[in-house]
Amino acid sequence: MQGSTRRMGVMTDVHRRFLQLLMTHGVLEEWDVKRLQRHCYKVHDRNATVDKLEDFINNINSVLESLYIEIKRGVTEDDGRPIYALVNLATTSISKMATDFAENELDLFRKALELIIDSETGFASSTNILNLVDQLKGKKMRKKEAEQVLQKYVQNKWLIEKEGEFTLHGRAILEMEQYIRETYPDAVKICNICHSLLIQGQSCETCGIRMHLPCVAKYFQSNAEPRCPHCNDYWPHEIPKVFDPEKERESGVLKSNKKALRSRQH
Amino acid sequence: MLQTPESGGLPVPQAEGEKDGGHDGETRAPTASQERPKEELGAGREEGAVEPALTRKGARALAAKALARRRAFRRLNRTVAELVQFLLVKDKKKSPITRSEMVKYVIGDLKILFPDIIARAAEHLRYVFGFELKQFDRKHHTYILINKLKPLEEEEEEDLGGDGPRLGLLMMILGLIYMRGNSAREAQVWEMLRRLGVQPSKYHFLFGYPKRLIMEDFVQQRYLSYRRVPHTNPPEYEFSWGPRSNLEISKMKVLGFVAKLHKKEPQHWPVQYREALADEADRARAKARAEASMRARASARAGIHLW
Repeated sequence: MQGSTRRMGVMTDVHRRFLQLLMTHGVLEEWDVKRLQRHCYKVHDRNATVDKLEDFINNINSVLESLYIEIKRGVTEDDGRPIYALVNLATTSISKMATDFAENELDLFRKALELIIDSETGFASSTNILNLVDQLKGKKMRKKEAEQVLQKYVQNKWLIEKEGEFTLHGRAILEMEQYIRETYPDAVKICNICHSLLIQGQSCETCGIRMHLPCVAKYFQSNAEPRCPHCNDYWPHEIPKVFDPEKERESGVLKSNKKALRSRQH
Repeated sequence: MLQTPESGGLPVPQAEGEKDGGHDGETRAPTASQERPKEELGAGREEGAVEPALTRKGARALAAKALARRRAFRRLNRTVAELVQFLLVKDKKKSPITRSEMVKYVIGDLKILFPDIIARAAEHLRYVFGFELKQFDRKHHTYILINKLKPLEEEEEEDLGGDGPRLGLLMMILGLIYMRGNSAREAQVWEMLRRLGVQPSKYHFLFGYPKRLIMEDFVQQRYLSYRRVPHTNPPEYEFSWGPRSNLEISKMKVLGFVAKLHKKEPQHWPVQYREALADEADRARAKARAEASMRARASARAGIHLW
């Protein structure tokens, strides 16, 4: 890499190992990312101080820029857990999947994606997806086969299944947001707070604006009378709690402290 | 220095402008071109006039050429980036990648620049990811990626590879299921975990949210099967090994894990030990079959016999 006037980060084996791991897992939650980062230091540079995660990742991203990829941070739509994935910056869509899946399998994903985007809840039922099996491009696929393919997508963390319905995994949203917004500009829903793509969320029953659950949690935090930010009508849904990893943390060691806490509450 | 006329000067060091994302056709050209003209002029194609006393028409032509070169350069960089990604994704499947695949899916009509493109891709793979792109078969142009990072100790492997602690949790549950004759009631699983200080819905520093991990991740990924026990009222549910566990984790390994926990030998449980031995034999047979067929396929592709 010849000298460029823009300061680019430096890669060491610590960073390389980290990247390899992130690629292997596809997507990781923040607490796992921190754990793995520490282990990378332990394996490759035992005596160095562990960089703050944000700086560590920014450093790697400055090197990845010329490859049109980056480590992106997002939050899960259901409860705001922070996640990380290595994503494509160029809009070549389902490229990462293209080599793992056959043409008809990719088309199945596309069909599921369309149903998910068009749905009111962000979920598409298994039945509805499977009914589209005859319309797939490529080799003919039976419904039984399609069920297996959908499971493959779940295992590879592109889809999430809940009670027979499918929605996008946080990883898919991170990876494909740009592609989705460009391909389905009329059908996509956007969060009124963060202006990112919205698949699952709450909506105002009066004016129809939508918000992600974690965005609702943050926006209405400690607000006794939540009102729609757009039309000011009373917000009718349950307000979720803001995700706080520190709050609910517990390890086996702290059992004795827990007992003490409980008694103090009374 | 220029290798091919119209595809833009290749070994020219990257300009600042190139890095700012791939937005083609933006009007960066006029301002950025101020840094380039001297070099491009020096490359000997223009008249070599150092003084900028060009006609309006000449200046426009010059700017257009510079823009075209920049576009081609950006396109080349993009192609290198796509090739890097292609190689990484392909390598995950552990099969060698052929030159014709690369040309077909990534390089396209830049085929004539293949040697340069692949050299750059190799450099990125080495510097950024720690992989060496090795030509596996010179005659048939197949390549593989070799991990150049130092190999991991077994303990490090467990910490970093296959989800460390989560795998441990899974092993505990698989162990419980196995020792109970291949299925365990949901209540028993939670009881065991509670004894280890793991609460179902409390955030755990090693496992995240255990209930979600077990009921969603493990079940969805087919490591565990979750079924209702028939004729139970109120309904009870049980866990058993999922199809993926059967594929990826051997009974012997789980038995060994349980044995270590109890500080005994696997043979201490004769029924499970026999079952595990039978499972090992099955696996060895399946593995031998798979290896034989993969070798046959590889040599069919290469056209020669591999060692």
